Amino acid sequence: MNKNYLFLAILMIILAGGLLILPERTNYTQINPEDLLWDIIQPSRYVTTDQVAKMLIEQDPTLELIDVRCAKEYNKFALPNAINIPLDSILSPNYSDYLGIEDMNAVFYCNDDILADQAWVIAKRMNISRIYIMKGGLNCWIKTIIQPTPPPETASGDEFDQYDFRKGASMYFTGASISAPKSDSKSQVTIKRKKKTTATAGGC
Amino acid sequence: MGPLIPQGIITGQWDFVIALLIGTAFGFILESSGFSSSRNIAGVFYGYNFVVLRVFFTAMIVAMVGLLYFNYLGWIEMDMVFVLPTYLAPMILGGFIMGLGFVIGGFCPGTSYTACAIGKLDGFAFLGGFIIGVFIFAEAFPLFENFYYSGYMGNITIGEVFNISNELVTFIFVIVAIVAFYVTWLIEKKVRKNRTESKFE
Repeated sequence: MNKNYLFLAILMIILAGGLLILPERTNYTQINPEDLLWDIIQPSRYVTTDQVAKMLIEQDPTLELIDVRCAKEYNKFALPNAINIPLDSILSPNYSDYLGIEDMNAVFYCNDDILADQAWVIAKRMNISRIYIMKGGLNCWIKTIIQPTPPPETASGDEFDQYDFRKGASMYFTGASISAPKSDSKSQVTIKRKKKTTATAGGC
Repeated sequence: MGPLIPQGIITGQWDFVIALLIGTAFGFILESSGFSSSRNIAGVFYGYNFVVLRVFFTAMIVAMVGLLYFNYLGWIEMDMVFVLPTYLAPMILGGFIMGLGFVIGGFCPGTSYTACAIGKLDGFAFLGGFIIGVFIFAEAFPLFENFYYSGYMGNITIGEVFNISNELVTFIFVIVAIVAFYVTWLIEKKVRKNRTESKFE
């Protein structure tokens, strides 16, 4: 047998054996810097607390809430059905299955925007699409959904509608049926709104 | 970096240009490996010439090992590479029919073109039969359409079926290939010794 063939056969076995002992590949596929910058300046990467509340109430199956705070804070309080992926382990293979699920809208949140924003950028660089940040985080959630403040009397009808929704959502999430007597103030609101509509109708 | 077209680095219109270049290279290598001679090709079945097995197994293991190293270095994204969908039973039958054509005609479709390119008459005869076969297949297709699409398994690879890594599959293939090279070399030596009608270098 030709010696060259023997040499080539051994080389091939060494190369193939080398594949087996190679360490796990760590170079992630990254998004283009231009695309990343373009996506970062899009306001559409934020969702409001109202949108999240609406999706939760409607039990939207495409919503995937991701809490990027540490496990301790997550155990203390978290949004319903949220999963905990602490920011420092977002690249860990344990959690890679939770990101980039087809047809799922992943919404990152933390106490404010900062951690969620970092998580968003990391996930975006990994070329994961359909990821969002809950604007204002849990602080905004408490302020707007759990303890909504009534708008001023001069506010538009939309704002009153939003307030009504938030009060309903607050009851939904806190289970506070005690707030039923507050419905008086709710009816006052509707009266005010009626006034406004007639006023505009007259103007026409 | 790669694959170039799915990543949008070059447009899909380059498809045919690349196919032409690869096709030319493929034809050149087939011809220079002696695949334009039906005696070389049919030799696999009679045991006196295993060049087909050697060339294709070599091409396969070099491509497998090369692609996995490219993937490791990030030069190609293997998850984006197109994998032909598997229809198990139809593919087994198809392989059997192709093998039958191989041993009867002494060519496979690609090598028959190589034979035509150098003006071999048996190559042209094979090509004529091949075109008639394509025509009959197309006309009779509704008869076996259900079978043609049966046993669909998706775009799977051997590693996914047996739940082992692509690296291990490659390693096993390399070992199998090298064992096959050695065994066929032994068979060839034995058969050629008993043959008197043709000589080998």
